[in-house]
Amino acid sequence: LLVVAGSGGHTTEILRLLSCLSESYSPRHYVLADSDKMSEAKIRSFEQKRAETFSESQFSLDRIPRSREVRQSWISSVVTTLYSILYSLPLTFKRKPDLILCNGPGTCVPVCLSAFLLGLLRIKRTTIVYVESICRVETLSLSGKILYYFSDYFIVQWPDLKKKYPKSVYLGRIV
Amino acid sequence: FRFKDSLAEDLQSADLVISHAGAGSCLETLEKGKPLIVVINDKLMDNHQLELAKQLHRDGYVLYCNCSTLVETLQSMDLSALKPFPPGQPEKFASFLDKVFGLQ
Repeated sequence: LLVVAGSGGHTTEILRLLSCLSESYSPRHYVLADSDKMSEAKIRSFEQKRAETFSESQFSLDRIPRSREVRQSWISSVVTTLYSILYSLPLTFKRKPDLILCNGPGTCVPVCLSAFLLGLLRIKRTTIVYVESICRVETLSLSGKILYYFSDYFIVQWPDLKKKYPKSVYLGRIV
Repeated sequence: FRFKDSLAEDLQSADLVISHAGAGSCLETLEKGKPLIVVINDKLMDNHQLELAKQLHRDGYVLYCNCSTLVETLQSMDLSALKPFPPGQPEKFASFLDKVFGLQ
């Protein structure tokens, strides 16, 4: 299982999503943006607690360059995302995850596109599950708009989004 | 306090919380069952925080206002009208994934 952790709130949300998963979803490989300081601490704390119940629990942490700063322009974002793909592609190739879980930070775009590419090249078929953040009630994030077309399962947490994006899955509030 | 690791203690001892519309702040407060007034930052362009605050308000979980109307909101608020906030259900997500991977 490969988990993409974004800054702050995204990490908190995704750890909540992981909280009820069984040990079949192991080992967990976390991918962070290189400039993210706080997510690592949250992840380690989560995994530490998990290890108290599941002693065989394993996880790893990798970093890739941040694909986009908040409110960075569209054109430069394409360039920085392509740069991040140079890092995420070998990483995804190395880990060959069965499942990628992400919830919206820019970091997830290069990772998911890498996995999608590896799938096209028949190197590894990964299931991509995208969960849009609970903040998104009426509109999708930019990552969401892109990955709606590349993910296997696209989960939204509010009914308005399910109406607008019929291929999505609505499970109610899950964080 | 610049960056505390956790506001859990402060939240626990508060009777009323006034916060910006960040999802983490709102949800943490609501989960502790504290009355919450959300203040929207008008100057933040592309205000996606607004969507969540508006929805939480529509559902009756929080009061909301902007910086200029805060005082008036504090004066006229009726906190008993706020509804208790049901927690999210990550079990549903786990169940969903288990079905996808045939792990049930």
